[in-house]
Amino acid sequence: MDFLSPSTWEEALAAKSAHPDAVPIMGGTDVMVELNFGRRRPPALLDLTRIPQLRDHGPDDGYLRLGAGVPYTTIIERLRDRSPALAQAARAVASPQIRNRGSVGGNLGGASPAGDAHPPLLAVDALVELASVRGVRRVAAREFYHGPRRTARRDDELISAVLLPEPAGPQSFSKIGTRNAMVIAVASFSLALDAQARTVGTGIGSAGPTPLRAIEAEKFLASEFDWDGAASPSPATVTRFGELVASAARPIDDVRGSAHYRRHALSVMARRAVSWAVTDYRKEIARCA
Amino acid sequence: MSGLLENTSTRAIGADIGRVDGPAKVTGTATYAFEHQLNAPAYLHPIQATVVRGRVREFDTRDAEAVPGVLTVLTHDNAARLADIGDAELAVLQSDEVAHRGQVIGAVLAETPEAARQAVRLVRVHYEERSHDVRFSAARTDLYTPGEAEDDEQGDLAGAMASAPVTVDHTYTTPMEHNNPMEPHSTIAVWEDAGLTLYESTQGVHSVRSTMAELFGLDPERVRVIAPHVGGGFGSKGPLHPPVVLAALAARLLPGRPVKLALTRQQMFDLVGYRSPTIQRVRLAAEPDGRLTGIGIDVTAQTARFKEFLEQAGKPTEVMYAAPNRRITHRLAALDVAPPTWMRAPGECPGMFGPEVAMDELAVACGVDPVELRVRNEPGTEPASGRPFSSRNLVACLREGARRFGWQDRDPEPRRRMEDGWLVGTGVAASTYPTGQMPGSVAAVRFEDGHYHVRIGAADIGTGAWTVLTQIAADALGVPVTAVRLRIGDSSLPSASLAGGSTGTVSWGSTIVAAAQAFRERHGTAPADGAEARAGLPDNPNRERYAMHAFGAQFAEVRVHADTGEVRVPRLLGVFAAGRIVNPRTARSQFIGGMTMGLSMALHEDSVVDPRFGCVVNHDLAEYHIAANADVVDLQAHWIDEADPYVNPLGAKGIGEIGIVGTAAAIVNAAYHATGVRVRELPMTLEHFLA
Ligand SMILES: Cc1cc2nc3c(=O)[nH]c(=O)nc-3n(C[C@H](O)[C@H](O)[C@H](O)COP(=O)(O)OP(=O)(O)OC[C@H]3O[C@@H](n4cnc5c(N)ncnc54)[C@H](O)[C@@H]3O)c2cc1C
Repeated sequence: MDFLSPSTWEEALAAKSAHPDAVPIMGGTDVMVELNFGRRRPPALLDLTRIPQLRDHGPDDGYLRLGAGVPYTTIIERLRDRSPALAQAARAVASPQIRNRGSVGGNLGGASPAGDAHPPLLAVDALVELASVRGVRRVAAREFYHGPRRTARRDDELISAVLLPEPAGPQSFSKIGTRNAMVIAVASFSLALDAQARTVGTGIGSAGPTPLRAIEAEKFLASEFDWDGAASPSPATVTRFGELVASAARPIDDVRGSAHYRRHALSVMARRAVSWAVTDYRKEIARCA
Repeated sequence: MSGLLENTSTRAIGADIGRVDGPAKVTGTATYAFEHQLNAPAYLHPIQATVVRGRVREFDTRDAEAVPGVLTVLTHDNAARLADIGDAELAVLQSDEVAHRGQVIGAVLAETPEAARQAVRLVRVHYEERSHDVRFSAARTDLYTPGEAEDDEQGDLAGAMASAPVTVDHTYTTPMEHNNPMEPHSTIAVWEDAGLTLYESTQGVHSVRSTMAELFGLDPERVRVIAPHVGGGFGSKGPLHPPVVLAALAARLLPGRPVKLALTRQQMFDLVGYRSPTIQRVRLAAEPDGRLTGIGIDVTAQTARFKEFLEQAGKPTEVMYAAPNRRITHRLAALDVAPPTWMRAPGECPGMFGPEVAMDELAVACGVDPVELRVRNEPGTEPASGRPFSSRNLVACLREGARRFGWQDRDPEPRRRMEDGWLVGTGVAASTYPTGQMPGSVAAVRFEDGHYHVRIGAADIGTGAWTVLTQIAADALGVPVTAVRLRIGDSSLPSASLAGGSTGTVSWGSTIVAAAQAFRERHGTAPADGAEARAGLPDNPNRERYAMHAFGAQFAEVRVHADTGEVRVPRLLGVFAAGRIVNPRTARSQFIGGMTMGLSMALHEDSVVDPRFGCVVNHDLAEYHIAANADVVDLQAHWIDEADPYVNPLGAKGIGEIGIVGTAAAIVNAAYHATGVRVRELPMTLEHFLA
């Protein structure tokens, strides 16, 4: 197995172009497990850890630009205000050791339907920046996940960054697992409200072949939500939202949980997310008034 | 007996002394089996069967042998013949038969671990496959009664059930569970000068020595086993398993060269045993006030077809509660699986799940407080044998636990308390574990350079044996701890029994006491340099006269989320009556370690077998969940002062296992109190609470 270790982004792109079958490695928290378990034996590893800009973050034209290699710990400690849902998801990942190494870029690279970063990226309508020697393109997270572990990324492309819109309303992420830490989600859910556009975003994890959106639920809540006063939605509205989220899922039974449980859990998380959003929204109104 | 029992005469026993091996462990200088620095080691990686049953027709090893660094491929064709010692599990590479999936059918020996592993992947094996059967069920028609556990009946349980005003009759299940000590099973084997040296991760260097000597037809003097530090065992490093035999077979092919083998976590799920699943039908017949007239447990467990092991889950029912009509039975399902083995408190741990949940069900049925119910059924003598207890303080544990936990104000109604969306409940269960003693230990005491050198081939598997044996030796000799130099973990030291059955401290400790007494008798209090004495473990005639057991009571607070069914255990409190506590610090670690493992059993541990392929599918720590730090919140272990003059000169009972006994039942009972949902199968998961 070759080990390619570029020290600049240009070299990395050139290497990926020359070796499209090289497997990028950032934190290695997925790659090393796969190698160790013999799940794959790539002809080459492409080490991205020496490329400084992958660890950068900062404003970018109305977005927060998050280098693909920024570890979860940094998101939790430094970027909580600018990416609330993603920071909550980052806190739910694994253990401190894994959070020190694991990255959103790696989560997107593996594209496991259970990856914790995906639901927030869907909910806030983030962009994924893909780069190759051919150029740079930005794909909406909502267009990124194509199938089980299949994404919009082409073989010669690397993920350079994700771009998160400035938060414009309450955001949340929740995850249900079978223990308190170090756990793959049984189901997860993220909700983001955009008070300016008056739109709602959702993301569902671990309940389908890919991370999913609940589009019907988004439309429903956007039309029912009291964008001016944040009056509590009726119980019927909240219940309906939960049902719509659950019905958007395409879960299976596995050792972690049954399909039935996953749908149930999603409806619960969705209802909870609405009540948090209302509370946060009111606080925001009170602060602005 | 010695004056050790009078607290005033002792200084070291009972003292809160830090681990003598602590600094070495936290600074990384304590050497574990795989870490011994030996010259030019070769590395071994097992080849494992990918069919469940059949025979190997042919190995195609050409590609494997072509891997640079590969030294040899070991199979039943070129492995040395071993003596038949009546243990089919250890007849490694003695035939082409495959008896379970994952069985060792060969190994690659190479210059590096990577080469060995890669080559194993390139070995192609052709099998003659036979049909297999790994389905565990109490409805099987081929269940049989194992010889070691004939049905035990007193009175007429069926009659009692028919006539009792209150009965409980339910089936409870515990899943297959795997031991996961931090240190995987590892061995370095060296053949030299017609002898074998093993650096082994084991619970008993002497038992490894005698078994390996027998297998390889060697004089035991030619086998040396070294294990100064062991990173956990829990029973899985007690009896020998195939890897150590494999390492020795491989080393035999490379005389003079150390051969290293460390199992991967996944291999541990195939090769070093597990706790059998159990199905327990529990029957209780009672008067309206909860007094038992009958108690019964019918246990079904599994074993390997080629090697019998019985999980004696009926055992604790012999000990726990008074009732004139009793019945305890065990049935085994012989399957095409790897042999089960010991896992912390084999028998007692699963065997206190069903009965202790059933007792809670009886408490509900009678409207009697579950603490009080147990007190009411306290026997005067050991129910099954009629022998008096050397000491029995279950009631004291229940009362002390109730006091500390704040049990008195408990509203018995289930599903009454909700905090922040979480249903809250509390539960209790009893614990018990036999106070054993294993024969065969010898200790030597020698005075030299102003120190007492105490030597015994005992094992510290993380329990604190290094520390507590030093304390016992100090008091037995009447000298400060600093005057004692202990050596354990080497078969060149005098013989010692296994670290198993919670017998280590009492067996080795009593032996050290005997050796110290022999030393003082022979050499007095001012010995000459080089003075030495040794003694074996004395017989204890009281063992015939008394039933000897430790007891405990565990209390749990459980929260179950009303909407999602998520389960949390914010509080666990155990009170134990386990005789004299030699060192409160190491003892507390044993108790809370056991309780944590009990919590893990209650909520997480579950080896899932795919019946088509006969393997455990969740065979790593990502999928086989054990409790994480975040699952454990307020965990307390306490004990009562218990003086038992009969058990041994120390007055101590074993404490390594009792902590796991009863925990799962307490948690399940608390979950019932929280939710009104009675869970009768482990692990208890979120799905149980959403009908
Ligand atoms: C013990 C443990 C617990 C875990 N718990 C969780 C959890 O709770 N939640 C969760 O979501 N995940 C969890 N994971 C999985 C893992 O930590 C995450 O998916 C993490 O985000 C991966 O990031 P990484 O930087 O380590 O990725 P790597 O392992 O380096 O890479 C992962 C994948 O992404 C590709 N890749 C990496 N960087 C790029 C790039 N710039 N461009 C293109 N492709 C790229 C790699 O080729 C690979 O396919 C856990 C892993 C372990 C070992």
